[in-house]
Amino acid sequence: MRVLIVEDDPVLADGLTRSLRQADYAVDCINDGAEADHVLAAQGYDIVILDLGLPKIDGFEVLRRLRRRGVKVPVLVLTARDALQDRVKGLDLGADDYLTKPFDLPELEARVRALIRRGQSGGSSLLNHGALTLDIAGRRATLDGEPLDLSARELGVLEVLMMRSGRVVGKEQLAEQLYGWDEEVGANAIEVYVHRLRRKLEPAGVAIRTIRGLGYLLEKAPNV
Amino acid sequence: MSRPRTLRRQLLTWLAGPLIVLWSISTLVDYDIANRFVNLAYDRALLESALDIGRQVKVLNDRIYVDLPEVAIQMLQSRESGRVYYLVTGPRNEFITGDPDLPPPPDPLSAKINYYDDEYQGKPVRIVALQLPVESGKNQGLVTVLVAENRVARTEFARLILLRMMLPQALLILLAAVLLWYAVGRGLAPLSTLRKEIESRSHRDLSALPEEQAPQEVRPLIRAMNDLLQRLSGTLAAQQRFIADAAHQLRTPVAGIKTQTELALRQSPSGEARATLHQLHTATEQITRLINQLLSLARAEPGTERAHTTEQLDLNKLVREATTEWVPRALARNIDLGFDSSQDGVTIEGDAFLLREMLNNLLDNAVRYTQPGGQVTVHIAQDAGNIALSVEDNGPGIPESERERVFERFYRVLGTGVEGCGLGLAIVREIAQRHGAEVSLGHGAGGSGTIIRVAFPKTI
Repeated sequence: MRVLIVEDDPVLADGLTRSLRQADYAVDCINDGAEADHVLAAQGYDIVILDLGLPKIDGFEVLRRLRRRGVKVPVLVLTARDALQDRVKGLDLGADDYLTKPFDLPELEARVRALIRRGQSGGSSLLNHGALTLDIAGRRATLDGEPLDLSARELGVLEVLMMRSGRVVGKEQLAEQLYGWDEEVGANAIEVYVHRLRRKLEPAGVAIRTIRGLGYLLEKAPNV
Repeated sequence: MSRPRTLRRQLLTWLAGPLIVLWSISTLVDYDIANRFVNLAYDRALLESALDIGRQVKVLNDRIYVDLPEVAIQMLQSRESGRVYYLVTGPRNEFITGDPDLPPPPDPLSAKINYYDDEYQGKPVRIVALQLPVESGKNQGLVTVLVAENRVARTEFARLILLRMMLPQALLILLAAVLLWYAVGRGLAPLSTLRKEIESRSHRDLSALPEEQAPQEVRPLIRAMNDLLQRLSGTLAAQQRFIADAAHQLRTPVAGIKTQTELALRQSPSGEARATLHQLHTATEQITRLINQLLSLARAEPGTERAHTTEQLDLNKLVREATTEWVPRALARNIDLGFDSSQDGVTIEGDAFLLREMLNNLLDNAVRYTQPGGQVTVHIAQDAGNIALSVEDNGPGIPESERERVFERFYRVLGTGVEGCGLGLAIVREIAQRHGAEVSLGHGAGGSGTIIRVAFPKTI
């Protein structure tokens, strides 16, 4: 995987480069906008980490030129500003994600991973969570390689939870995912599916947490 | 001690002083006029009496006598203006009839009719001296008739006239003063309206004062004040821009330090180095939070250039989204974070960005200060007049004595063992005030922990 980092602060650029290299990415690092524009016009990357406040040409302009050339590479924008307008402008110009400085390194790495995955459209349809694996296309789940006996609705709930692993999924979101246009949405039904799913997953140490008033969360897998 | 100068008192002094002087002069003049006319009238009556007596001067057998009937004498003695004295003397100044010791006229008599003032029986009198020719042989010559009356009557009459003239004038002056008092009050009304307008203002409202309704004289004052307000808000904006810029500038180097520290920690150093890196990491977290809070505060304060857009917001939705973002951090500290939404839809008018910022600060405090295993709950409830957003925890609570101070900037409750910079609640209060909301602080349910309640007035 080739990563281009465009960041003019040498300390931060060095930190990012080393961290991503440790994760086995091939990293190029550039510290001004004009050069970034040149390099991006000449070479292909799997992801670009782009700072907005750059010398010579600012990040917005680099992004605009990149998208004008029709390049679809995922772009993660880094910025010292967090004004809403900047964020909207960045996303409008075709940024795929946005991080405000300073950020947690694991957070950045997770976003980079997610963006690369999204960039490879039609990629793997397997979702992993610890010992749990869900084959979205094949509609089946396995635990330590052993197939799990789940109904279609339970699979649906699990899919949404696994896609957003570590984050809260509201009951409404689950309902939306599970039901067709004209079917009645029932919060109680969701509770029943989650309850059943929880009972089947618990022996394997996979916990679905109830977050009061907010929804459910598939707890982060212990060190994958 | 000198009393403050008031416009009313100054105007009254300027008007009433001259008026009273004028009134005094007018009184003197009036007194003179009254005297003159009273004298004229009384003198005429006196002369009338003298002529009456004169007509009765007769000559019989060379003897001059006055044929005054008893009735006439009685009339003279009982005139309304007081008793009248008379004396008739002959050409050789011989006594003919009357009161012999009436003071004689000052010599020589220059005209046929002479008036003079004198004293008679110890009282001031007015006397007319009338000279009449008589023809009776050897007695040819001038008979003098003196008629005197007490001056008291005319003085009193003159006083009466004067009084009648002065009273209406005095009333007029009094009326002018009252009218002036009232008019000054009316005239100064725009100033007191202005005062109320300024008094009722919030310190964050630096908009121009209304000028249209003020009278011409007050407008320069309003304009000067508006000019000052404008300069003030310009300065404030510049100051906030500076804070915001400084905070933004700090972010990149801090991001560098943080990234490098996290990277170093991954290399699993041991002992001292690891402890040092942990401290460094904690410090970076703190500085990050401080930068973010400074920015929040700069944004929430008046005079910022960022356009604050208020819109109709679904509070349930906004709070659910903001609280959801905090779940991972709460779980990392083993805190049970929950949301208790309002059953009915809750719409408020506000700035979504700032309200989110406010809730973030409330949750940051709650999650930070509550012990692992604790509970944090966000509630939305509404009653007749208010929509209340509250964040409740079962943490250590805030002592009664600290409750007011925690809203101050950079104030921190001692002995909590938690790193913080003490800006969180100041931001909460600032944003709440911007939305016309009240922030209150209390015990959580069961008497422990903390509940911070932000009550928004219901707008219908």
